[in-house]
Amino acid sequence: MIKKLLIANRGEIALRIHRACKEMGIATVAVHSTADSEAMHVRMADESVCIGPPAAAKSYLNIPAIVTACEITGADAVHPGYGFLSENARFAEILAAHAITFVGPRPEHISTMGDKIAAKQAMIAAGVPVVPGSPGAVSDSDAAEIAGKIGYPVLCKAAAGGGGRGMKVAANPAMLAEALTTARREARAAFGDDAMYLEKYLAQPRHIEIQIMADSHGNVVHLGERDCSLQRRHQKVLEESPSPALNDAARREIGAIVTKAMSRLGYLGAGTIEFLYENGAFYFIEMNTRIQVEHPVTEMVTGIDLVREQIRVASGLPLSFTQNDIQLRGHAIECRINAENPRTFVPSPGTIRNFHVPGGLGVRVDSAAYAGYRIPPYYDSMIGKLIVHGRDRDECIMRLRRSLHEFVIDGIDTTIDLHLSLLQSPDFIAGNYDIHWLENFLANG
Amino acid sequence: MNKDKIDKEMIRALAELLDETRLTEIEIEHQGLRVRVARAPGNAAPVLHYAAPAPAAASASAPAPAEGGAAHPGAVPSPMVGTAYLAPEPGAAPFIAVGDAVETGQTLLIIEAMKTMNPITAPRSGKITRILVKDGQPVEFGEPLVVIE
Repeated sequence: MIKKLLIANRGEIALRIHRACKEMGIATVAVHSTADSEAMHVRMADESVCIGPPAAAKSYLNIPAIVTACEITGADAVHPGYGFLSENARFAEILAAHAITFVGPRPEHISTMGDKIAAKQAMIAAGVPVVPGSPGAVSDSDAAEIAGKIGYPVLCKAAAGGGGRGMKVAANPAMLAEALTTARREARAAFGDDAMYLEKYLAQPRHIEIQIMADSHGNVVHLGERDCSLQRRHQKVLEESPSPALNDAARREIGAIVTKAMSRLGYLGAGTIEFLYENGAFYFIEMNTRIQVEHPVTEMVTGIDLVREQIRVASGLPLSFTQNDIQLRGHAIECRINAENPRTFVPSPGTIRNFHVPGGLGVRVDSAAYAGYRIPPYYDSMIGKLIVHGRDRDECIMRLRRSLHEFVIDGIDTTIDLHLSLLQSPDFIAGNYDIHWLENFLANG
Repeated sequence: MNKDKIDKEMIRALAELLDETRLTEIEIEHQGLRVRVARAPGNAAPVLHYAAPAPAAASASAPAPAEGGAAHPGAVPSPMVGTAYLAPEPGAAPFIAVGDAVETGQTLLIIEAMKTMNPITAPRSGKITRILVKDGQPVEFGEPLVVIE
């Protein structure tokens, strides 16, 4: 079993990892930038090492500093959280070369799934349904013919992209050349790689993702779905499980397809397979080879501690549950709370004056914020997640509404009001929304 | 916990140090015990805080008493995380000693990270008045290494 784990991340997920470690009797090391010296997880961790100045490139992305911090503290494992180095295959390899356990998948799977074209090809080979598209990267000369075969509208996607970045729509043949050129330019700037592939653009899909967990003993289990259709600029705002759009039969079917594929791949650890779902059909878009921000939604409906399972699996232990043990009980919704103006989304760094989190049955807050905490301006604006569970979706929504009203975060702007207005919308209450819904709501609301 | 073991002499010494120097705050941590002595703003008398020992608290770098270390304007902070070595190799003479005059660019010590040795050079000329790290001590980014006055 891992004895001392270094948390290579910050904010709420760093605290989350610390919590799981403490429950398992594992010592924790927090590495942090100078901007995060007062962070909650740094204060809570058994040891802390300042590894650099605020800039992520010199701190949270600084592989030599993180590996050195492992050496001087004697950490035998690293949990990369999400973002930062969590999907950096080279980081995983370097840790392995230093005999440090990386809590995550094997480097080759991180690489395969990080390349969106290779990921799609791997999934096709594994029998997972995918969005109709180009067989691989397209050149400027063959794009038009391939797009014609797929059928318009067509989406130009960066092979090195992900998380909704590096995508441009071409509604008809006349728009293709410009969409491709613009997308290439942006991809080159953002990812250093302008390889593009094409996919059919689905009109009104939902974003439904399946959580899986796999150990090194051949066990692969899926933990149901999360509906993450409510997005603004491809950033998820609210997530829920089960999806209002799926029934048991559909869930079992896609779950079986996905676990079979992961089994074939020999995948290890936590993973999320993301689909677009339209007219009863699933279309694979990408796989995330890490723990996700919205993992608490699944934890609330299944009762499984996913970060704990990640650490167990990384230690070589088998999963602590079988597929038969997994049942989605009740309903859970997560609201991501950002330090942003709820209408303009302008970031609001600053000091939190008062901080009161809601409580009660079925109410969970994953946040590293506290009264007096100064939000650093160098990192993303998410300051916490409110996750609420109810016996059914209606009870969950009532409880969530109550919790949002009770939540006090004074001194900065937050998106709590945005969530309150979402919860009042008849479409949301009916579960009737797709991935374009939120942006329409914001534009017209 | 352990409130009966308050070391009055230590706290008195810290309070006096606060008055003698122009520091506003001194915090030291030793063997799980953390003591902070601070001057309340606009107030001549130093304020005393006695913090209960944090469970198993130890920062990765051996805690150095902050007597003018971190706050001192002449402190040279570590540009990286790693292990500090005071001599070019084991058994050799150390690069510098207290009292030495150093020139800008002169090697003060080495920090080793992932098997690479990184010379840490003086950012300015002056006299070494304090060496704040021991040979082989792990250091954090920003940790004060030496004081050049």
